[in-house]
Amino acid sequence: MRLAGAELLESREILPGQWLQTFRAPELVAGARAGQFVHVRTGDYSGLVLRRPFSFNTIDPVGGNLTIHFRTIGRGTEWFTRLRPGDRVDMLGPLGRPFEVDPRTRHVLLIAGGLGMAGVRALADEAIRDGRQVTLLFGGASARDVYPSSLLPDEVEYVVATDDGAVGHHGFVTELVPEYEAWADQAFACGPLPMLRALAGLAASRGRRLGVASLGRKRGAGRPIPAGSPQARRKAFLQVSMEQNMGCAVGACLGCVVMDTKGAPQRVCREGPVFASDELAWEGGW
Amino acid sequence: MRTRRRVVTSGPGASAKRRPTVRRFKSAIVPATHRAPAFPTNAAGNRATPAPDRTPGHATATSTAGSPDREIDLAVDLGRGLRLENPILVASGTFGYGIEYGDVVDIQRLGAICCKGTTLRPRVGNPTPRVTETPGGMLNSIGLQNPGVDAVIEKYAGTWSGWRVPVIVNVAGESIADYVEVARRLDGVPGVAGIELNISCPNVGKGGIQFAIDAEAAGAVTAAVRRATDLPLLVKVSPNVADVRPIARAIADAGADALTAINTLSGIAVAADRQKPLLGNIYGGLSGPAVKPVALRIVYEVSQVVDIPVVAIGGVTELADVLDYLAVGAVAVQVGTAIFADPTLPARLVDDLAAECRRRGLEDYRSLIGTALSKRAGAPSAKGVEYRP
Repeated sequence: MRLAGAELLESREILPGQWLQTFRAPELVAGARAGQFVHVRTGDYSGLVLRRPFSFNTIDPVGGNLTIHFRTIGRGTEWFTRLRPGDRVDMLGPLGRPFEVDPRTRHVLLIAGGLGMAGVRALADEAIRDGRQVTLLFGGASARDVYPSSLLPDEVEYVVATDDGAVGHHGFVTELVPEYEAWADQAFACGPLPMLRALAGLAASRGRRLGVASLGRKRGAGRPIPAGSPQARRKAFLQVSMEQNMGCAVGACLGCVVMDTKGAPQRVCREGPVFASDELAWEGGW
Repeated sequence: MRTRRRVVTSGPGASAKRRPTVRRFKSAIVPATHRAPAFPTNAAGNRATPAPDRTPGHATATSTAGSPDREIDLAVDLGRGLRLENPILVASGTFGYGIEYGDVVDIQRLGAICCKGTTLRPRVGNPTPRVTETPGGMLNSIGLQNPGVDAVIEKYAGTWSGWRVPVIVNVAGESIADYVEVARRLDGVPGVAGIELNISCPNVGKGGIQFAIDAEAAGAVTAAVRRATDLPLLVKVSPNVADVRPIARAIADAGADALTAINTLSGIAVAADRQKPLLGNIYGGLSGPAVKPVALRIVYEVSQVVDIPVVAIGGVTELADVLDYLAVGAVAVQVGTAIFADPTLPARLVDDLAAECRRRGLEDYRSLIGTALSKRAGAPSAKGVEYRP
């Protein structure tokens, strides 16, 4: 975790109301991994008292650059859209725990709902770099929300679903998953809570329906894997990146918790944002 | 009263006996010449870690007024030997247990750390969402999530005892018996420098707000905790009352060493779809710059009716805020919400305050206290002199 200045290099509206910004921040990019995030201070100190968390959308350790992808939903995100190249912002990061890909995984399934693309986008780069095959399932409300394929690596198989059927599959992205879950060794998802909940349900019943062995069963058989550990995520079929309103983003304020299956609140900023789907309580919680 | 010692460690600090508390008067600012011999250990009973350069006469011997790096005396005594290096504290709930910000913040430069609210038994807290930004502030309704006092002691007290910065444990409860039991378990634990009684959490049904809105109840819980522990005792008052003065007076009369003012203001926000309140708990506590005028008013009021030190809290984001609070009678300030935006702010405020004293040619910051209070009430800036032990 470091506190550093970041210089805006490029800012563009890639979709109506959705922005992609490139920052130069070598100190923050060094060692950052897909799934982690930065906590960025706005320049409006009087009105906006909280930083804004953004997933690493892409990470370029060689150039020392990162990108963030966001939708304008309020005064904070609007403030960011008014930044011009050369402007500097104050970033805290890298924060949180990353996605963990099992070394034996060949086929990676990414599932993104809307802005959830920002949560899994960097993992596509990482997986391709490591020689894995990547399929990315994307769900949006309509054609105007569909992430441009030109912004994805060529190696990614990109499958789109829209709620109104304007582009690709007519329906929810979760309906595409059964076609790929036998192919996939591991899946990684980010998006709205109902989508993640549905995926967690599919993942939980996957072994029974497909008769597949879960990863890691042979290795370290019988040895307990501590909940929340990198191993626990690495052996899970589905890892999810969670979202919550955030205060400090370092684990101090306890604002951004999700409930785990044992009834203990887990901090999205510290124990997450990436969790194994079977670690979390998807129904109720409190 | 103290029949139970929950934690007995064999560290170097464990054998050091805490200074007996036989002060006849409540103290505020400690005159430089009286301090060093009187406080060889910090309040937690630790043998003082490499003593900062504060031997008597040091400041005057090595410097002359006006020199740019002249040592400024920022030390403050909040009572019962709870002596802080400087008057900038970090507020409960915004700084976890002091370890979360890691390398980003040099915690040893802080005056003190108030840790997350601690209860007798573990609490999972409130449903989410728990925080949201509001104009010039934020609402939170964490609901006192914490692992319980025994786990807090086990997990963190050992670490705290190695720190130079004192850690004040914020204590919450549902009943007087709860508060007393938590205080008893904290009493004598190395690493615990004091207790801040949270009798004013607005976010839980039985979070003790009932103790903050009634003078008699506030006095009763303070007196009960006072009997249970020799630890320095701060009591945090609520702004969610019509008149805070009788409550503050009752708390002071019951034996509190200092007052903290204020806790958050009760508020709500509405979800974006306008179909329900935004926060999972509906109600939250407002903090940040938005509450500063309210906090200033309350510090102004309580500092004129009690003779114990007042620690101000509410929307501190820059030196001007610190100076404002000192002017209305506070002897120290806590920084809270602003840490989320700028974790390095509290340490920087220490430097800024010293620089301000230097700029004005002051040896310490005492003369900045109480300058805006009506003269008829007697300027509390004289407290440190009047009540010199």
